[in-house]
Amino acid sequence: MTSESPSNNLSVDRRELLISAAGGFLFGFTLPGFSRIADAAVLPQATDGSTAINAWIRIGTDERITILVGSSEMGQGVMSGLPQIVAEELMVDWSRVSAEHAPAGAAYVNPVYRSQLTGGSMSVRGYYQALRTAGAAVREMLMSAAARQFGISETDCQAMSGMVINKLTGASISYGKLAPLAAVLPVPTNPVLTPDDSLRLIGKSLTRLDLPAKVNGSAIFGLDVRLPGMVYAAIKHCPVLGGTVAKPPSRPSGTLAVVSLGNAVAVVADNTWKAMRATASLSVSWSLPSTARNVDSSVFLSQAQQLMISGAPAVAQSVGDVTTAPGRLLEMSYYVPYLAHACMEVLNCTVNLTADGCEVWAPTQGPGSVVNTVKAITGLDPQRITVHTTFLGGGLGRKIEQDYIAQAVRIAQAIRRPVKLTWSREEDFGHDQYRPMALARVRATLDAGGNVTGWSNRIVSPSIFAQRGIPLRNGVDGQGVEGAIDLPYAFGSRLVEYVRHPSPVPVGFWRSVGHSINAFVVESAIDELAAAAGIDPLAFRQRLLAGNPRVLAVLNAAASLGGWGTPLPGGRARGLALSVSFGSIVAQVAEISQPVVGSLRVHRVACAIDCGRAINPNSVEAQMQGGIAHGLAAALWGQVTFKGGKASARNFSNYRMLRMREMPRIDVQVIQSGAAIGGTGEPGVPPVAPALANAYARLTGQRVRSLPFFPGARMSEE
Amino acid sequence: MIPITVNGRTYQIEADPTTPLLWVLRDILGLTGTKYGCGIELCGACTVLINGEPEKSCHLELKEVQGRSITTIEGLSLDGSHPLQQAWIEEQVPQCGFCQSGMIMRAAALLREKANPSDVEIDGAIGNVCACGTYQRIRAAIHRAARR
Repeated sequence: MTSESPSNNLSVDRRELLISAAGGFLFGFTLPGFSRIADAAVLPQATDGSTAINAWIRIGTDERITILVGSSEMGQGVMSGLPQIVAEELMVDWSRVSAEHAPAGAAYVNPVYRSQLTGGSMSVRGYYQALRTAGAAVREMLMSAAARQFGISETDCQAMSGMVINKLTGASISYGKLAPLAAVLPVPTNPVLTPDDSLRLIGKSLTRLDLPAKVNGSAIFGLDVRLPGMVYAAIKHCPVLGGTVAKPPSRPSGTLAVVSLGNAVAVVADNTWKAMRATASLSVSWSLPSTARNVDSSVFLSQAQQLMISGAPAVAQSVGDVTTAPGRLLEMSYYVPYLAHACMEVLNCTVNLTADGCEVWAPTQGPGSVVNTVKAITGLDPQRITVHTTFLGGGLGRKIEQDYIAQAVRIAQAIRRPVKLTWSREEDFGHDQYRPMALARVRATLDAGGNVTGWSNRIVSPSIFAQRGIPLRNGVDGQGVEGAIDLPYAFGSRLVEYVRHPSPVPVGFWRSVGHSINAFVVESAIDELAAAAGIDPLAFRQRLLAGNPRVLAVLNAAASLGGWGTPLPGGRARGLALSVSFGSIVAQVAEISQPVVGSLRVHRVACAIDCGRAINPNSVEAQMQGGIAHGLAAALWGQVTFKGGKASARNFSNYRMLRMREMPRIDVQVIQSGAAIGGTGEPGVPPVAPALANAYARLTGQRVRSLPFFPGARMSEE
Repeated sequence: MIPITVNGRTYQIEADPTTPLLWVLRDILGLTGTKYGCGIELCGACTVLINGEPEKSCHLELKEVQGRSITTIEGLSLDGSHPLQQAWIEEQVPQCGFCQSGMIMRAAALLREKANPSDVEIDGAIGNVCACGTYQRIRAAIHRAARR
């Protein structure tokens, strides 16, 4: 996904600004040109007498400002970060602001993706300019309405704290009173944005709007949706990938229905536990694919090794001629495994399908895709499909997928009752769309002066895009090579190649996607080269970054924060890594020890990030802490293997997660360079694994080239 | 009919006596703050207090909790005024928030045992899983609540 900031080339004309007045008369228009559109189906229906000034903003008679958020809140703080941008321009106090997930609708698409999709760390980057413009437009409409009320010019009005003040008399009118008047005024085509030096909210660590509901149990995740008359479904997929139902099983006693879903069977009961229990003990006759025995990790590895040698590589990037680069040739191969997403909230979806239409409640990263899924199954007109995005108990890329949505719709279709489908944890692990495995081989030439004269990297990995039928441009999967091309380092000649590994394992987007693979390869290799050159890894990188001051500044900040080069207690070592991803630059220093052989303790990770401009620095810090924790668990223990067509991971018992006692101290420095806004949800992940491996090599002399550090890890109760 | 007391209220539950308390709370009583995470007593998302002691409700059968006093996140305080809830906000702990009910209930039990736990004691007591990695802030929030 693109790493450049779109914020400067957005214009209002892509946005639909929609207006509603109290009492329910609804109309909308597109800027510029004010062409009215009759289709008001996407409008949020305010039932409380409040006025929806446009599709994003609702002003209540009680002076509450509700901002509708097009992105999905999955922990990254978007339900606060996006309203913060609107509230800035709207000139309202943060204490008056609430946020809700927007319904699926054209008004809420991410302007970069042109789709209502949350992924690629693109929420703030995608919506920033549009939301500032929307907030400013509504502020100007409110000022216009006030000027008419006061009988003065707009220039004699000032918007402040949810009121418009008459500068001549000091009188004021609240937004709640102005809203019905403002809603019928023309929308300004080119509203004036607040100058940077007058920003009150953007850049401040405001408290998140979604947290009160998350500490008293009232936050509604997909799993928590309850409808009158609802029944509960659980699911069992064919344990062998590619298998299908040969003969639908009969309905177990004590349950309401059994529904065959092609590669899975669902059982419906009057509570989740009954449905799960019946599903687990269900005896299903499956048709297994003849190729099942080839769905095996040892087969995958030998395929990848073969492809590395004899596959036809597609060139992702080529600069100069690596074959003539002078110096000593070093070759290093790296391997990373398939990974599960392991969201804390298992996949689930609630559907109410009636003669009138279909309503879906889901923890989804793609409400727009949900509409398409429902339409494809039911044939319903999109106007009769309503999608309610709930809070997501983690998304991590898994909840972009539509498999669990489609299943719930099909079950609802079969039983004609409101139904909630909940996957068990075992199904969630066993039927994930896994982070692809990858094999990479770096060949680099090092001259006597410690310069990298040639860098070539061949990556063999399954393609997420190809598996979805999206053609690869020149045979290269862009996400397969992200973080391997366009490196900030001043290498001499460069060649980056991609070989598609046509694996039968379903693969998907996993927090930071290709960067999670390629940063491990690149940053491990850099340290190996530094060691071969006899140069300190920080100094080695500094030399390679001499022409890239912005990246160099982040590297130096992390090194300084992590105490690089300062004395350590005995038995400890530090490792360094850097990654440029999703428009942000992140460098980390990990400090580790090995209390006993075969273990590893991470004491501290120092992290510097330059995301251009941080809307909420505290949220950026939280994303770095979270990304590091996520990356640590994956590097230390994360691995899904396959045998006989079955995934190894069954539950947290054999897919170990990081716990409190393993959590290092994390220090984060947020650098506000003023460059284009970068993403923050994902960039904390990629540097972790190589920082650990580099620290481990310095501590033990052993280079870890294959992840995880500790395969076969298990997690027990205590 | 099995009587159970949840958050000070007594309910007569008509269900299979082996139904896990987790699903009684969620599907029958509609108290959805207590979460399903793993179903095998590992992740702690389903943690509730039984007579003040932390228990994982995914493996407690309905018949086992008959007559005992159950506290869920909804019963910790009605208005979010419990010191732990306030500290959780002040430290801006939750990210996705899914595990946080269980975390807060486990922390509440810890503070009953130890008024001012050290980091080591917190790490030892709380084995709950948070995939968002909010642990550092959880430690800070527990210390903050302990000071109250």
